[in-house]
Amino acid sequence: MIPVIYPSGTRPRANDRTRSFMLAAALVILAATSLPAQESKPGEYQVKAAYLFNFGKFVKWPAAIPAEKDTSFTFCVLGHDPFGPALDSILAGEDLAGKPVTVRRIARPQDSGPCRVLFISSTEESHLKEILTVVDESGVLTVSDIPGFSRRGGMIQFVVEGNKVRFEINLTSAENAKLILSSELLKVAAAVRRNAPPGD
Amino acid sequence: MPNPSPSRIWRAIVATPVVALALSLASPVETACANASPDDQAATGNLKHLSLEELGDVEVTTASKEPEQVWRTPAAIYVITQEDIRRSGATSLPEVLRLAPGVEVARIDSDHWAIGIRGFGGEFSKSLLVMIDGRSVYSPLFAGVYWNVQDTMLEDIERIEVIRGPGGTIWGANAVNGIINIITKSAKDTRGVLSSWSSGSIDQGIGSFRFGGSTGKDFNYRVYGTGFIRGAEFHPDADHFDDWRTGQVGFRTDWNLTSRDILTWQGDMYTGLDGERVAVGLYSPPSTLVIDGPHEVGGGNILGRWKRQINDGSDVQIQGYYDRTSRYSPQLDEVRDTFDIDLLYHLTLKGNQDVLLGAGARWSPDNITAKFQTLDFLPHQETDSIYSWFAQDQLPIVPRHLWLTVGSKFEHNNYTGFEIQPNARLLWTPATHQTFWAALTRAVRTPSRLDRDLELTDFLVTPPPTYLRVVGSKDFKSEQLLGAEFGYRTLLAKKLFVDIAVFHNRYTGLYGYGAGSGFVELTPTPPHIILQLPLANALDGSTTGFEITPDWKPSQWLELKGSYSYLSLTVQDRPGFTDALNTDSDNGSSPHHQVMFQSLVNLPKRFELDATVRYVSALPAQNVNAYETADVRFGWRATPSWEFSLVGQNLLQPEHAEFGSDIDTIVGIKRSIYGKVTWTRQLETHP
Repeated sequence: MIPVIYPSGTRPRANDRTRSFMLAAALVILAATSLPAQESKPGEYQVKAAYLFNFGKFVKWPAAIPAEKDTSFTFCVLGHDPFGPALDSILAGEDLAGKPVTVRRIARPQDSGPCRVLFISSTEESHLKEILTVVDESGVLTVSDIPGFSRRGGMIQFVVEGNKVRFEINLTSAENAKLILSSELLKVAAAVRRNAPPGD
Repeated sequence: MPNPSPSRIWRAIVATPVVALALSLASPVETACANASPDDQAATGNLKHLSLEELGDVEVTTASKEPEQVWRTPAAIYVITQEDIRRSGATSLPEVLRLAPGVEVARIDSDHWAIGIRGFGGEFSKSLLVMIDGRSVYSPLFAGVYWNVQDTMLEDIERIEVIRGPGGTIWGANAVNGIINIITKSAKDTRGVLSSWSSGSIDQGIGSFRFGGSTGKDFNYRVYGTGFIRGAEFHPDADHFDDWRTGQVGFRTDWNLTSRDILTWQGDMYTGLDGERVAVGLYSPPSTLVIDGPHEVGGGNILGRWKRQINDGSDVQIQGYYDRTSRYSPQLDEVRDTFDIDLLYHLTLKGNQDVLLGAGARWSPDNITAKFQTLDFLPHQETDSIYSWFAQDQLPIVPRHLWLTVGSKFEHNNYTGFEIQPNARLLWTPATHQTFWAALTRAVRTPSRLDRDLELTDFLVTPPPTYLRVVGSKDFKSEQLLGAEFGYRTLLAKKLFVDIAVFHNRYTGLYGYGAGSGFVELTPTPPHIILQLPLANALDGSTTGFEITPDWKPSQWLELKGSYSYLSLTVQDRPGFTDALNTDSDNGSSPHHQVMFQSLVNLPKRFELDATVRYVSALPAQNVNAYETADVRFGWRATPSWEFSLVGQNLLQPEHAEFGSDIDTIVGIKRSIYGKVTWTRQLETHP
């Protein structure tokens, strides 16, 4: 428990530095020249992008929809876009509700007028409250992976369980926006919640 | 003393006001997604034809959210993920810690380690706070960690957060040189069955089994059992005392009481036989007795945590635990019970100020049984108590670009009374993908029972029979640290993330020997000469150094990462003291240079080839030469259920020494190999 005086003789070491470093270098070269994986798993946001497309299919918008939402079926990403090319490549050339699908990146929630599906990036977490107020009841399906999103009034929240992507639904928020979520969607959801009464 | 998760704390303090600028602070992981290869696009195309149900079953490479947090943490933090652990081939927690920069992990023998952060590593290294799910595992007996009883199923660890540098403001006394926070997965993430079996040349057998389930969407649980048999390392004297075996069982439940309340219960029980060699002084011949034999260790703990989201930006958490450890060794028995309760309250004030308030209490009674007259702690029973409060506020100075965090801990302990541990931290994000941070911190290492109550006598020479006696001192005060740190993080290129941290720490009143005295003792017979050294705050010191930690992920199939850690450590006598023993030992027991390099390669057909190479410079006071060695893992995820791997450890030489031991002979850490089979079956989460 206390430092003791060690014998002064040092043991000869078996290691040969040059050989070690050559082996290390060989490992690096091996690593750098190996073939790329052919069966790599899809990325988290590729799956999320595919989900967004499905949400477009399984949600019904009210018949009396503002004109700006009706010229095309627009998916919007608010804040930093985590999808990369995945969203565009999934939605390219698709039609939903008889309209051509378009993708927009917007910086402010006020620009969400044309959007039917609004993905709120996790970069916007700090003004989520403000965002949800602005887009409230304007026929926009709000989707995000911000923790607690569905509890905080968002409609669909992605959750990653293990290494699978699932989603939770806040039905009250969707109903407030006059959106009808199909039973398929509700069945598959990891959780369906209604806004808790105040004080819970 | 509150022991919340480091990332959680800084996330709580930092994330809310800062996320706004995350547009300019996207994580490297996210950036990587933006540069998908043509293969990825093909994969994306296939995904859109899947049904909702099928999408839910697609396994993805999850983009860890950690880098996002790391960007905005005004401290030198490094996160080891479950994937890092799996691919490292490590079979124990200390081996996993080798992945972190600035951490010195030296294996003394099969079941002993010397672990330090930014210097002062040793078997009984102090000033390092280690927590498992918010439960402190340092022993108040010597203010260090018994690493050979800190085990859990490695597969159940979600992440390990390693913070270099002082964190006393939030985590309290002993969070002086660093904090290691081991966080296990929520029970929600361990539904299903996992069974893994390993066997090899030194890790002769490791078996783990876990079952997790749920009774609906809101209540999840798991139970696990794990055990291993480990053989001895290389002993030049062919005295293989350090074989080791341990068994542990445990459980965890996570219950979502309401949409905003989570109640967690968890607990573990373990028992082990640690092979160990101890040298004990005797007043009659043979004067020194060397005892080889297993130490019986055992213990258990139970922890409850209730967390409530009050509203947007404010939450409260209350946690309590009971922990029992017992160690029965040939020289000393220690039985200790620890009771701890912590309260943590986080709120957002106007102007985007994030405030964190905490309070805690801990009582830790122990019972020491001496086996020899030459080693004792007096009194045999003592109750350590700590009462603590802290407050910390993060306020934006320049919105979205500059934040100041100030706070302090006020702690009362039964040895030195009140201790104050303040800190101030600045976080500056001038541009896209750039973070600067700086911190000034005071931290203390409060006295342990060893510093106060030890009485250890060792045989020196004869004739006449002369003994060296080290005694604790009631005057031993807290060791103090004043630390200045500076850090920088940037994306050098699209997929090359670099983290640089620089530090200078000044220590006052470090542990050492005070002025000695000599006298003749008549009892026990025969009469003998005692040279007595009292423990005292005899030394001052300073450390200066830096760590550079790059992480490069050029493609989906290759990731290269590593670190270089430089440390200069100087310890000298305080005025009025001369203690060459401890100054030499301190000055020569921490490596000046450490290099770690890791390559993770995803081969076709779900094969994986992972290699870790590390270099550690010499430790003259430990008679340890510089060494470099390597671990290689070859894995195959044959099906979603079956995974096979073959791991070689310490491959570059038949054996190498990493640290001296309490007894004279240095143990060599052997080259070893093991094979592992893992079977998992996930339970259907939505039937």
